[in-house]
Amino acid sequence: METASSAAPLKRSLAQPPSSSDASGDSTLIDIQNLDFYYGAKQALFDINLRIPDKRVTAFIGPSGCGKSTLLRCLNRMNDLIDGTAVKRGTIKVRGVDIYGRTVDPIELRKRVGMVFQKSNPFPKSIYENITYGLRIQGVNNKTRLDEVVEKSLRGAALWDEVKDRLHESGLGLSGGQQQRLCIARTIAVEPEIILMDEPCSALDPIATAKVEELIHELKKQFTIIIVTHSMQQAARCSDRTAFFYMGKLIEFDETRNIFMNPKNPQTEAYVSGRFG
Amino acid sequence: MPPASHTPPAPAPSFAIQKERTRFLGLTLDECIQGFFGGNAVVAVIVLGLITLFLFREGSSFFRQNQDNLSIYRQAGLEYVDFIRTQEESHTALTRYLSDLRLRALRHHMDADGLAVADANARLASFDEFAGRFSDAVEPIRGLRSELGDVAVAIKTRHINNLNRIQQRAQLVAAGKPDEAAAVELETIDFAGEIVALTATLPLYEEASGAFATALNEIVATPPPLPTLELTARVARFQELTADYVATFPATIEAMRAWDHTAPVAFSESFTAFIFGREWLTASFWQDWYGVLPLFTGSLLVSMIALTLAVPLGVGAAIYVNQLATPAEQRAIKPTIEFISAIPSVVLGFFGIAVLGEFLRVASGWEWLAWFPGFPFAERLNALTAGCLLGLIAVPTIFTLAEDAINNVPRAFKEASYALGATRLQTIVRIIVPAALSGIISAVLLGLGRVIGETMVVLLCAGNRIAIPDFTAGLSVITQPVHTMTGIIAQEMGEVVPGSIHYRALFVVGLLLFFIALLINFVAQKIVRRYKISVG
Ligand SMILES: Nc1ncnc2c1ncn2[C@@H]1O[C@H](COP(=O)(O)OP(=O)(O)O)[C@@H](O)[C@H]1O
Ligand SMILES: [Mg+2]
Repeated sequence: METASSAAPLKRSLAQPPSSSDASGDSTLIDIQNLDFYYGAKQALFDINLRIPDKRVTAFIGPSGCGKSTLLRCLNRMNDLIDGTAVKRGTIKVRGVDIYGRTVDPIELRKRVGMVFQKSNPFPKSIYENITYGLRIQGVNNKTRLDEVVEKSLRGAALWDEVKDRLHESGLGLSGGQQQRLCIARTIAVEPEIILMDEPCSALDPIATAKVEELIHELKKQFTIIIVTHSMQQAARCSDRTAFFYMGKLIEFDETRNIFMNPKNPQTEAYVSGRFG
Repeated sequence: MPPASHTPPAPAPSFAIQKERTRFLGLTLDECIQGFFGGNAVVAVIVLGLITLFLFREGSSFFRQNQDNLSIYRQAGLEYVDFIRTQEESHTALTRYLSDLRLRALRHHMDADGLAVADANARLASFDEFAGRFSDAVEPIRGLRSELGDVAVAIKTRHINNLNRIQQRAQLVAAGKPDEAAAVELETIDFAGEIVALTATLPLYEEASGAFATALNEIVATPPPLPTLELTARVARFQELTADYVATFPATIEAMRAWDHTAPVAFSESFTAFIFGREWLTASFWQDWYGVLPLFTGSLLVSMIALTLAVPLGVGAAIYVNQLATPAEQRAIKPTIEFISAIPSVVLGFFGIAVLGEFLRVASGWEWLAWFPGFPFAERLNALTAGCLLGLIAVPTIFTLAEDAINNVPRAFKEASYALGATRLQTIVRIIVPAALSGIISAVLLGLGRVIGETMVVLLCAGNRIAIPDFTAGLSVITQPVHTMTGIIAQEMGEVVPGSIHYRALFVVGLLLFFIALLINFVAQKIVRRYKISVG
């Protein structure tokens, strides 16, 4: 029935008020239930159950290979690009809409769920074109509108003052930290609701890292942020909630404070106190 | 434990890192390997250098010889006669315009008026009379040209024979036979004296030219009636053309008057006569011309046709295989395309003659393809046939290199694009192709290099007519037969006398090809290097 425009129901639903809320009173935006995920025959995620709150920063931590990136990339269906991957069981709902539903268009989903990658990856185009890309592919070509969005996004990513005089120079000419903030600006330019960040600071020096972390603080007023990080300090500094994964399973999910000060699970405790990982 | 002072210090374990290496002829294995590969590289460079040197050595004296060739052309007065010949040829072009006009009128009578051929021809009687008079008007000029031509050729022949005898004598002297050498008679040709026989006829020519002009003006003043407005407009156009033509007569006379058989031919003229010469004419009884332009434009035309086909096919296939195909398709398509380059080009040429050329000729007659420029055509072998096959030859080169370039686009660009909500097509068109563009351009350039250098296919299929393709015909130029730089070398090299000017001219064509290939490769490498820096 709804095959004509698979995107419409998703958009409409995303705009609806949240239906459920968790113990601390935050409303749930993303609801993951009993998720099993496979790379071909290899199972990478085991029975994940997770409720990610709206307008909060949620951190995914855990030793490498535990499935943090895999789960993150399930949330905007980036895993679809890899042959042989499949969600074999369970659902992921954003505002009650199953994003793996038959009528969902992943293209529409990705406009609502942006992503920042581990290694900054601006396009080999000008700064201006990098930021307007997301809008241009949606058919927006109005110069004034694009100019507005460029300024707003760059301000939003705390990059405006540094690049306002060279908007038409290549994005590849920026420093590593600036490139990563450019990627963030490019992501917020399409006004997603959720921003996924996969170890966004792992290739940055401490000063650039601090800037991005500051930015995350600002962004959470408008966006729901999910950040994968290797650094426990970073999780502690920026996130409201933290989920700890181990070997493809969700071990513990709680207020960040509790995860670090008062973990309930001994594996979590061992990890956050630096005994393995 | 006894105190340390009581035991003698244990000898320190020796730090043995020296080792005698096996040596062959005093060289270590490493040095041998290095020498071997270094040696190979040196041999390759030397061979390349020798090829260049050889081409230069064989080709360079061409320009000197061509200078002599052009000097004789002037000294013997052939140049003088060619003023008249040019005038005559322009007249022939005008009569061709009339024939075309007649054909149109005939067709009109048959199609629109529904007349039988005989009746339609009868209707054109007055036109034929007109055309006949126009065509005959040139006769006095033609007769004069023919007479003068004989004189000029006679001077040239004597001169050439004399040159041959000089050479013969030099050879005899070198062979140590001075007596026989002395026996070879030489003559000194008094060009100034001989040429008078030509130049003295100028008043005669002036008179003939004046009469010719008057005759033409008279004839075209009363054109025959033609059935349609369109045809009448063409007649008016013809009148204009004729008026323009007649207006050039005084300039011709002026040029003939100013002509001087002693004016030296500069070395640079020999050069420009080669590069910009519009005629490649050898073993002619009149004058040999070594102008590379018809061959160059032929090569260019065929190559452009080839690229027009090969670029979309090769780049499209590269994009498809790299971005869209399933692994099974990839496994099937890649080797298939690469297999094309394993087909011997002479086999492709056969295919072109026997199948493709014939097919294109037949297809060109199909009603629904009539919109295609140049269709229908009668010549089975032409630039289009050769271009199609060359396109096929270029596809593997372009495909392989373009696929490489696309494959080198970092995966991160693609992911970033998808993450912003782009579709597959948008990602390909806006991100992947632009990022790979310089690689793709250089792939196309190398494809061009492959095509320009290809010989067998063009020799067999291009039609081998030595003439600059008539670009005024618009796109239908692609159905004309052409000759190419590679084709001419392959065709004529076997027949020429080594050391002759013709032989050397072929070497210079080879040299030109060599430089074109060098230039194409150089530009392609430059572009690739820039690409590496920008994406790096
Ligand atoms: N493209 C892939 N194909 C197959 N297995 C993969 C792929 N990507 C990740 N994996 C596997 O899935 C598991 C989880 O990986 P990942 O989510 O990248 O871990 P993390 O981000 O926590 O370090 C690992 O065992 C990894 O080997
Ligand atoms: Mg990861």
